Amino acid sequence: MNILEVENLSVHFGGVKAVQNVSLTVEKGKITSIIGPNGAGKTTFFNLVSGVIPPASGRIIFDGEDITNLSQYEISHKGISRTFQNIRLFNQLNILQNVQSALDARAHYNIFEAFLGLPGKRKVDKENREKSRYYLEIVGMKALAEERPNSLPYGMQRRLELARALASNPKLLLLDEPAAGLNPAEVEEFIALIKKIQSLFDITILLIDHRLKVVHTLSDQIYVLDFGQLLAKGTSEEISRNKDVIRAYMGEEDEE
Amino acid sequence: MDYYYNVLTTVAINMIAILSMYLLIGLTGIFSMGQASFMCVGAYTAGMLATKTALPFGVVIIISIAAGLLSALFVGIPVIKLRRDYIALVTLGFGEAVVALLNNMSNITGGANGINNIPRKVNLWIALGFLVVVVFIILNFKNSRFGRYCIAIKNDELSAAAMGINVARIKLLSFVIAGGITALAGCLMAYNTTYIEPMAYGSAKSIDWICYVFVGGVNSLSGTLVAGAVFNILPEALRVVSIYRILVQGVIVLLTINFLPQGLFGEAEIWTIFQNLFKKKKRKTISSKER
Repeated sequence: MNILEVENLSVHFGGVKAVQNVSLTVEKGKITSIIGPNGAGKTTFFNLVSGVIPPASGRIIFDGEDITNLSQYEISHKGISRTFQNIRLFNQLNILQNVQSALDARAHYNIFEAFLGLPGKRKVDKENREKSRYYLEIVGMKALAEERPNSLPYGMQRRLELARALASNPKLLLLDEPAAGLNPAEVEEFIALIKKIQSLFDITILLIDHRLKVVHTLSDQIYVLDFGQLLAKGTSEEISRNKDVIRAYMGEEDEE
Repeated sequence: MDYYYNVLTTVAINMIAILSMYLLIGLTGIFSMGQASFMCVGAYTAGMLATKTALPFGVVIIISIAAGLLSALFVGIPVIKLRRDYIALVTLGFGEAVVALLNNMSNITGGANGINNIPRKVNLWIALGFLVVVVFIILNFKNSRFGRYCIAIKNDELSAAAMGINVARIKLLSFVIAGGITALAGCLMAYNTTYIEPMAYGSAKSIDWICYVFVGGVNSLSGTLVAGAVFNILPEALRVVSIYRILVQGVIVLLTINFLPQGLFGEAEIWTIFQNLFKKKKRKTISSKER
């Protein structure tokens, strides 16, 4: 069963056709990857799916529902959560509150309860703090709950973003270059973390990455984008044998 | 003695208005350059109702707050989706428009002469009472999901929206609440000074408030309170050299922004500073026991 179906999606910025007629499907419970050289339109594709920019044409069907023209926060509530290539954390909230922000967005107490600090509000906040600690524990950062995110090393900031994205309890998780800037040891940890998340939650993952190691070890299905167009699809073995892909993506060089 | 009593009442009322600015700039990151016009809205609603009708004080307060909320909603809906700098420009324009309107509609508002003979019903204790209530409400707001939304939006709108926060709605909410609080301050001011005129509520006042929030520490409610109190008491203390008042204020603002870009208190609150001191002492005693 497909959780995400994208049909003929296109968007252009002026004369630049960032994404052209891309159609792809993401199977429920699996890990799907999108790879491609710089400027291939991978992040733009994520921005389209998560509602940051509206598509010029095409349809996005998520879990049987058309979400093409919904705004960002509505798509988040439908069950798509994402991380960002250039980490975007809330630096004036502490680490626990960063994770809690996703749960807050799903809390149901009104403004008057908030003004007066009524018991109902306090109970919800307390429960959400506990849940946030649980998500921090998954990424191994429970002890740092009171720190600020900008005091963390890069790898930890990535993991915090992951915890925050998980806290919204998504059906589909979009990871935008989650291993960028990580050293080889951290990449190993990260791969283990993704596997752990997949075993803990009923979740589908769509990820973009440059690191072939990450993509090849994790992906059930790989799509290759080049100049905004879909170049190939297949399993990691099929992709590594595909001549078009080798020409476009890996060039004449050896695999990294 | 009476004199100081009056000064403190005015300071307390002004601090209510400055707190609304804290809500906007400190929490949500909205620069409202016309916030003082909402004080004007509250003051004129109260002034006109008090001189032309026999409504009791409590009812007038509620109507003034409602007027502030409604006018903030009216300005907020078209403005809030704009970029930060444009919001500043539009609110600046709105603020000046309100002042010009009140100045020129002289048959209703008394024009530049303002409204006189408002009964004096606010004393220091009433003003302080309202200040405490507003502090309580804003603190609770800050510590609720709404406060965290606001800070998240200030830090990164895109990422806040990706978490499922309706950015435009929360910005509007904080703008409207701030409008209501400022109008309350305006209403109290009308009942305190017994006399209102539009010129006192121009953009200069809004910009003063922005300065206070920055000097106090953008993210610190207590910082805003301290800065608000100091800057409001200062002109009275410097009465002898009143022409230098703006100079002194300017120097303080410049020095703070230069040497303490986060403001005097940064993100800390007075009570958390005390808590931390206490905790450190505790830790020290524990570690000395271990030795």
